[in-house]
Amino acid sequence: MKPATLTGLGRSLLTASVLSMMASTAFAEDLSMWVRESAADPATLMVDLWNTSHANKITLTAIPDNQVVTKLATSVRSGDAPDLVSFDLIYMPDFMKAGFLTDVTAQLAADPHYATHVQAYKDIATYEGKTYGVGFTPDVSVLVWNKDLFKRAGLDPEKGPTTIQEIVDYARKVKALGGDNYGFWFSGACPGCNIFVTSPLMVAAGSQILPKNGTDQALSGDGVKVVLEAYKTMWDEKLIPESAQTDTGANFVSAFVGGNIGIAGTGGFLISLMKREHPEFNYGMTLLPGVEAGQVSGFVGGDVVAVPANGKHEAEAREFLTWVLSDEAQLQGLAKNSILTTRTDLADNEYTKGNEPVLVTAKALAAGYVPWVFHFADMVNSDSSPWITMLQQAIFDGDVDGAITEARAAMLEIAAR
Amino acid sequence: MAQRRNRWTGLAYMAPALAFVAVFVLWPLVHLIYISFTSESLLGGGKWVGFDNYAKAFGDKNFWRAFTFTLTYTAYLTPILMVLNLALALLTARNTPLRQLTRTVVFLPVVIGLASSSLLWYWLFDQQVGLFNKALVDLGILDQPLVWFKKANTGQLGVMISVLWKVVGFGMILMVAGIQAIGNDIIEAAKIDGASGWMQVRRIIIPLASRSILLATLISAIGSMLAFEQFYLMTGGGPRGQTFTSVYWIYQNSFVRFDLGYGAALSVILMAVITTGTALQLYLTRRGIR
Repeated sequence: MKPATLTGLGRSLLTASVLSMMASTAFAEDLSMWVRESAADPATLMVDLWNTSHANKITLTAIPDNQVVTKLATSVRSGDAPDLVSFDLIYMPDFMKAGFLTDVTAQLAADPHYATHVQAYKDIATYEGKTYGVGFTPDVSVLVWNKDLFKRAGLDPEKGPTTIQEIVDYARKVKALGGDNYGFWFSGACPGCNIFVTSPLMVAAGSQILPKNGTDQALSGDGVKVVLEAYKTMWDEKLIPESAQTDTGANFVSAFVGGNIGIAGTGGFLISLMKREHPEFNYGMTLLPGVEAGQVSGFVGGDVVAVPANGKHEAEAREFLTWVLSDEAQLQGLAKNSILTTRTDLADNEYTKGNEPVLVTAKALAAGYVPWVFHFADMVNSDSSPWITMLQQAIFDGDVDGAITEARAAMLEIAAR
Repeated sequence: MAQRRNRWTGLAYMAPALAFVAVFVLWPLVHLIYISFTSESLLGGGKWVGFDNYAKAFGDKNFWRAFTFTLTYTAYLTPILMVLNLALALLTARNTPLRQLTRTVVFLPVVIGLASSSLLWYWLFDQQVGLFNKALVDLGILDQPLVWFKKANTGQLGVMISVLWKVVGFGMILMVAGIQAIGNDIIEAAKIDGASGWMQVRRIIIPLASRSILLATLISAIGSMLAFEQFYLMTGGGPRGQTFTSVYWIYQNSFVRFDLGYGAALSVILMAVITTGTALQLYLTRRGIR
């Protein structure tokens, strides 16, 4: 090859690379993304990873949890929505019905990774046969126990409760240690915390909690009563600290981390928190049980990510949804950071090997449920909701049957709207 | 002719302020009133429903329970706050280094956000780790740590303590300004006439600082009628909804139940009540001053 030809080839390559760089710069778009504040940490990990390998950079903005609905609603209606939004999955039915989100059914149907996406996320993001988002930063509720307290109480520190009755029995033994030790913890004035960690006990025991419409089942089955009576027993026997009655969620995590609580419901998020801040804490993690051994459940929570209607960069935003389900995002963005994957085929991966708590949460995610209902906030999350009123009336006032009957009627009335 | 031109010139000078008020005060108010006659949802949709929302409000026992609770909270808090404001103002009105330092220390919590101070006090009141509880037990005032937010009355008391700590400095500064505006000659004359300290306060300081006291009272009363963050963060409306305030209930309806139309109607009712109460308070106080 002649030197002149080589020079010409070099020039062509140089020109091509410059043009390529110019093109990528010219077509690169800055995307905006909103995330609810409480899910900002895992979302930041994911977005940072995306930004290192993509020309379309995403700017993430954390929105206070209780303002997400208002801000998204007003932004979509005013035509000023962000390109992507990550929010609590329980709002999905209301948002899909309101037309806030872009239909991504065809895109996901063509994505081979979507086939192994956790079913609960597929279900919650589907409305009238169309899909509007994917699971983004998952979480699921589990049961944890303090191994040191179990050991001191004469219990097997490696074996957590496998039935609701065992929760009560083990809590009694821990309480019997005396001092400032208590058997169990739950946040008695926090509706969201309890739908997350208390309702799966009922579901595991065969109950349905929330009605889809005014004629559906609400608080059905014996599980609801069994769980409420178990909690009432523990409350009456002072196995639960008195302050649990008024806790609005501020101590949802810190109570157990304090070290004097035997058993508590919590979320998978605890794993990374403990690893980061309390590596010496000796705890065990298991699935939330039902009445009989083998009955398990969990509340599939966390965030879904979707493309709001009226977003300005829909095509680029859709790419992010595809990327979220990719091996890179699942393994490097989630698993590497001790966060569950949202693909079942990647649940057992190089980062989860030997990490027992993460494996437990992966099982809980597969066995978990998420209620597909409208008016979730009204039925559950409101500080005056039938859900929290039922818990308080049954556990603290002792009227289990009356509480269930009244809450059922109130839920059906809301669902009928 | 010149007078008319002056009028237009004056109006031109005022135009930016008028436009600001029109856009940021009047228009939202008109829009709020309009929404209150619709079934508008936060998620979109809704239609004209006339007075339905107002009719619903008058039959909503939860709203009236919240409203009564708010009135009670205001009725308890305002006089206590005024007495503390005045006492602190009287103690620190003169400009000596120690008094100026005291004023600064008492005023400091005012610059903290109400949400932050509510969270701070929530932890201080905690049964297990709260320093406030520990102090009360160590001092022998309580036998054992109290779960403050377990009952409505102790929950309300807890919130009131936190709010007093947070806002007492603001009223104190207003009253200090009022007291410092009183001429020294008047006080000196009273002293020469043999007026005791209490007589000076009762006959001279309170009447002459009455406008500052009125302003502090109005701000306190309106603030209490609009109470929200402190209850949202500290009691969560509990136990069993007994500490919902009016604004908290409006928030529940508007942003949790997504029912903007009904929330707007409740807001209009509350606004009418507060406006009427304030006007009445101003009228009675001014008549008293005269």
